[in-house]
Amino acid sequence: MAKTVLIVDDSESIREVVNFTLQNEGYDVLVGVDGEDALKFLDGRTIDIVITDLHMPNLDGLGLIRKIREMDAYKHIPILFLTTESQASKKMEAKQAGATGWIIKPFVPAKLLSAISRVLR
Amino acid sequence: MIDKFREKFVEESLDNINDLEEALFLLEKDMHNREIIERIFRAMHSLKGGGAMFGFNHLSEFTHHLETVFDLVRNDKLAVTNDIISLTFEAIDQIKHLLQIGDLTEKADIANQAAFIKRIQAVSNQEESSASTTVVGESSGSQVAVSDGSKTFLIGIKPNEDILRNGTNPFYLLDDLHAMGEAKVAAFAKGIPDLGQFQPISNFCYWQVVLNTSESVNDIKDVFIFVEDECEIDIKELKVGNIIKSEALDELVNNSVADQTLITKEQIEAIGGSDDNDQDDEKRDAKRKVQLKEHKISSIRVNSNKIDDLVNLVSELVTIQAQLNLYAEKDGNGDIVSLAENIQKLSRQLRDNAFEISLIPLQSELMRFQRLVRDLSKELNKEIEFVIEGGDIELDKNIIEHLTDPLLHIIRNSVDHGIELPEERIKNGKSPKGTIIFKAFYSGASVIVQVIDDGKGIDPDFIRAKAISKGLLDENVELSRKEIFDLVFLSGFSTKEVVSDVSGRGVGMDVVKKKIGEIRGEVSLDSKVGQGTTLTLELPMTLSIIDGLLVKVANNQYVIPIANIEKIHAIDDVNFGNTLNNVVSIGDQQFPYIDVRDVFECDTANSGGEQLILVKFEDRKVGLLVDQVIGEYQTVVKPLGRFLKKQENISGATIMGDGSIALVIDTNRMIHSNAAKKYRTKK
Repeated sequence: MAKTVLIVDDSESIREVVNFTLQNEGYDVLVGVDGEDALKFLDGRTIDIVITDLHMPNLDGLGLIRKIREMDAYKHIPILFLTTESQASKKMEAKQAGATGWIIKPFVPAKLLSAISRVLR
Repeated sequence: MIDKFREKFVEESLDNINDLEEALFLLEKDMHNREIIERIFRAMHSLKGGGAMFGFNHLSEFTHHLETVFDLVRNDKLAVTNDIISLTFEAIDQIKHLLQIGDLTEKADIANQAAFIKRIQAVSNQEESSASTTVVGESSGSQVAVSDGSKTFLIGIKPNEDILRNGTNPFYLLDDLHAMGEAKVAAFAKGIPDLGQFQPISNFCYWQVVLNTSESVNDIKDVFIFVEDECEIDIKELKVGNIIKSEALDELVNNSVADQTLITKEQIEAIGGSDDNDQDDEKRDAKRKVQLKEHKISSIRVNSNKIDDLVNLVSELVTIQAQLNLYAEKDGNGDIVSLAENIQKLSRQLRDNAFEISLIPLQSELMRFQRLVRDLSKELNKEIEFVIEGGDIELDKNIIEHLTDPLLHIIRNSVDHGIELPEERIKNGKSPKGTIIFKAFYSGASVIVQVIDDGKGIDPDFIRAKAISKGLLDENVELSRKEIFDLVFLSGFSTKEVVSDVSGRGVGMDVVKKKIGEIRGEVSLDSKVGQGTTLTLELPMTLSIIDGLLVKVANNQYVIPIANIEKIHAIDDVNFGNTLNNVVSIGDQQFPYIDVRDVFECDTANSGGEQLILVKFEDRKVGLLVDQVIGEYQTVVKPLGRFLKKQENISGATIMGDGSIALVIDTNRMIHSNAAKKYRTKK
């Protein structure tokens, strides 16, 4: 069965690149435009992995990660976050919030897929 | 593959920039508003991240420095000043430029950008050091001479044999390190067994990385957060200067790879360049929870071509539906008639919907105007408040596209020629700050856009004299006040003696008039000396669908837009007493009139009875004499194509239900071109 990925990013172009890459690889993709928007997908359905940006309006990436970790159904799913190299200090914070790993922007599709397959083992 | 998304990124970024400009305007008024600062930071962050993603490297680099400034601001290490805001505005222009052309290629451009970045860095550096002097206090003296602040590390990475099985690609760790600064990598692969025993799923390699970076050791550790259990990581800080580019280091790395011996800390430090700045890393804890209330995304972005296609298809449908109605009536079969009626109802709704979709709020363009007023008034040392009323008024996107340039010109005029310098204003008993009001509102089926300034105004006598001196007007002709102001729109008329740099860019008000005319709009001007000038644009809400009156002239059918029609008179009511001057009287009122049959050079003899249609023309009514009024007709206007662009009388064509074609009369231009001759001198 195809794995389901939830993408959360406030930038449409980034969403599209990630979406395109993942759908091409046969993933089922859900798309949220910010943390708050993403929460609506966490309604009990099966989600195998979450990929989220950190800087977003309404509910930012860290907030989303914390929220997800509080949900019984999603406590253990892998969460990757997107970050730029200049935000390295955020990584520790994100790990403490419960992130599983990160992907540095800019990334090539292969790197994205590798990061996902790594946590979806 | 990424290329496909570049366009999207550019589009999105332009939106982002719009948001950024809006936020900057707000910030200018409220310099401590965290929400706004956070919004600006995020916009820059998106531009940077996306820029790098989609190959806009210069853009990414450039916004990185801006982001740094606003990162300091949001962490309270830097206070917002007018200089920062102005610099950011300027930077936005550069960002727009970069989005348009992609990466810079011209040497001069690159140098310009580098200079610009220096200026931005000056802002962040200056504040950083001043911030640290206040915090650190006594050690500030020694910190003045800090070099580039970079440090060099020797990092050993020895992954476990089974790291690949977990899906980790160690190369991405190296990538991440490269992203932090400059790095030299030595790979040690002697552990790889012979092909016979080689296991592709096992890792036999390890690496050493010499990294020069301005990040702290903790940041480097962060790279390995998620692989701690799978790797042996060894990070040593080296006491050397920036030797990453030195040949000695290259040699050292090459030798160690060739001999497969590890590089030692001492070997590198022997290369030299011992660095004396040994200060502790600044801990930048950016833990902040910002609750941001921004409008939820309640709309989607659609390529405008798709909307054009939709509107086109719907117009075709409306045409076919008219045919169907005609057929159903003829056929008389009740089933078909009711079907036709249902389809008519649906297609009307569909048409209204499609029409609404193609409307966009004026708001989208207002930012440019606001920006123009701000920049120009600074340049000209004027104080101007720009007030916007009715920014949520919606217009067809094609109209808005045609509107931007004329409006920019009009507003530029108001700023440049309209509003006086503060001293002059005070002398005339006005407040030193001028006001330009941008006002939009609905009026019937049209939208009125006004640009009102409270500047010095224009003297009608001056315009008249000017027009006479330019040979545009015969001095014996008496004109009404309105007619005099209309002279401004004649080609070859420019009120300013010296063409100024600001508004005299080779475009006159005649071009404004022409552009507005192209979208079936009208422009007029009114002014009171000493009190200001008002420019009024009357615009149709849409270009594609109009309510029309179908009339017959000779054997041809024409459509007159209902919005222009005042009244229809049977010919019996009309007294043609004074036909020599083309004036008729109806009751005790007199109206000028135009015989449409003359305009189209038809034979006037065999008309089946005549009717006079009074249409609005500027502030008067003018009669149009036609053979027969057939009835009301809602119609989809199709453009005529470029071969027929030059004629004055027709604005488009429409396909009738029976497949024949009716031309749509542009009454304003028809009357203008036929009546204007009366007061224009012949050249």
